[in-house]
Amino acid sequence: MHSHSKGFFTGLKCRECGRLYPAEATHVCEFCFGPLEVDYDYATIKKAISREKIASRPKSMWRYKELLPIEGEPTVGAQVGFTPLVKADRLAKELGVRECYIKNDTVNYPTLSFKDRVVSVALSRAKELGFTTVACASTGNLANSVAANAASAGLKSYVLIPADLEQGKVLGSLVFGTNVVGIHGAYDQVNRLCSEIAGKYGWAFVNVNIRPYYAEGSKSIGYEIAEQLGWKLPDNIVVPMASGSLLTKIHKAITEMKKVGLMKTTKCRIHGAQATGCAPISHAFKNGSDILKPVASPKTIAKSLAIGTPADGYYAIQSIRETGASCEDATDVEIIEGIQLLAGCEGIFAETAGGVTVACAKKLVANGTIAATESIVLCITGHGLKTQEAIAGHCGQPRLIHAKLSEFDEKIYHADFKK
Amino acid sequence: MKKKETRRFWLTIPSKIVQRPIIWEIGHKFDLVTNIGQASVTTELGIISLSIEGQRSEIKKAIQWLEKMKVKVEPVEINTIEG
Repeated sequence: MHSHSKGFFTGLKCRECGRLYPAEATHVCEFCFGPLEVDYDYATIKKAISREKIASRPKSMWRYKELLPIEGEPTVGAQVGFTPLVKADRLAKELGVRECYIKNDTVNYPTLSFKDRVVSVALSRAKELGFTTVACASTGNLANSVAANAASAGLKSYVLIPADLEQGKVLGSLVFGTNVVGIHGAYDQVNRLCSEIAGKYGWAFVNVNIRPYYAEGSKSIGYEIAEQLGWKLPDNIVVPMASGSLLTKIHKAITEMKKVGLMKTTKCRIHGAQATGCAPISHAFKNGSDILKPVASPKTIAKSLAIGTPADGYYAIQSIRETGASCEDATDVEIIEGIQLLAGCEGIFAETAGGVTVACAKKLVANGTIAATESIVLCITGHGLKTQEAIAGHCGQPRLIHAKLSEFDEKIYHADFKK
Repeated sequence: MKKKETRRFWLTIPSKIVQRPIIWEIGHKFDLVTNIGQASVTTELGIISLSIEGQRSEIKKAIQWLEKMKVKVEPVEINTIEG
């Protein structure tokens, strides 16, 4: 049932039972409660898309628009994505691999995290569906991105947060004039209330009723990696996991590129990275299980990854297995070392999730899962300025001197160069 | 009569009480109708997606009862709060 008015996507499909739904603001299968996913008409896309056509378009994630779920042109976040793929030779040496690249979403436009990708799809689709108010519940990056993108699109926005969230994190949303609502209560109570609000007020809740569209935005990282490597894939990609959605969507992107004829071979292992203090996906994978044991109280500095019951965890494990990849997790100390290693080798300041990715990549190489002769892409998903408190006190102090050349000579130059 | 509503949850049942007929108990302790969407129950853990129909106040009471027994009650849209 392909309709040109809907672009190249045909509707929604249950991931569990395959039942089809129209392309509306809905996200759960009425029959089995499985998650809905966007369904595409790949035969039609294959005829419409080509490497040349993509190359002729502006450098944003929307150059792959046939594979993104909106009907017309993007109306929100037209400049999002196509972040640099940095060849990281110094880091490669440190990790002990032949070739290493950083997919650098710390400089994604406009709020310095990969969330701008998912939000620009969610809000563009929300506008097509006639919504005028958008919302989300978030403790960080997602809130900032919804607030900023909604502001630029002239949409009214609400950001729900746990009442005890640090003020510093709230500021990055408040500045855009969004309505920030703090909710008292335990995490699960807040979670349930948010789902009720989403159902009751007819708002476009980006990660609830718009979730099927929203999640598709993550695929653009996969397309970009391939195109930026000259339509080749690395041997390995390492992806941080919170809900596990990003990893499954990069996997989907890779399989789609084969389906629509953009690539002939799509062999690539997609490894998952979590923080040890909240690693339900990594633990299930290591135990050879499909069942994720919930983490009741996550304890990690990587707060953006601290989801105790990951919605897409099961599917992430399937993707990891299917691509022959593996899973690792990193302690807080290793996360901080990871942030410093990336910053010191490549001049890229990543948030704690980036530290998780680097640290887990290091472990995967050290334990032989990734061979020294292979290539690797690390997905770095957010800027370090967002989680400065996590590394405060770990990077040393400036050395203080008086405004005298003799003091500089003695305390700095001699100490550093005349040892 | 107050309006009835239907809400859907994922219940995560800890191993200690995984053998208890919890869904049956909900239907008897509270004026609620339950309907299972999916379930995966092992000796270690029970995960059930459940739709519950009844008055809002009664649904609330059932959630409190479940949480007292350390059952995790999440909306089907788990991860409503993201980073």
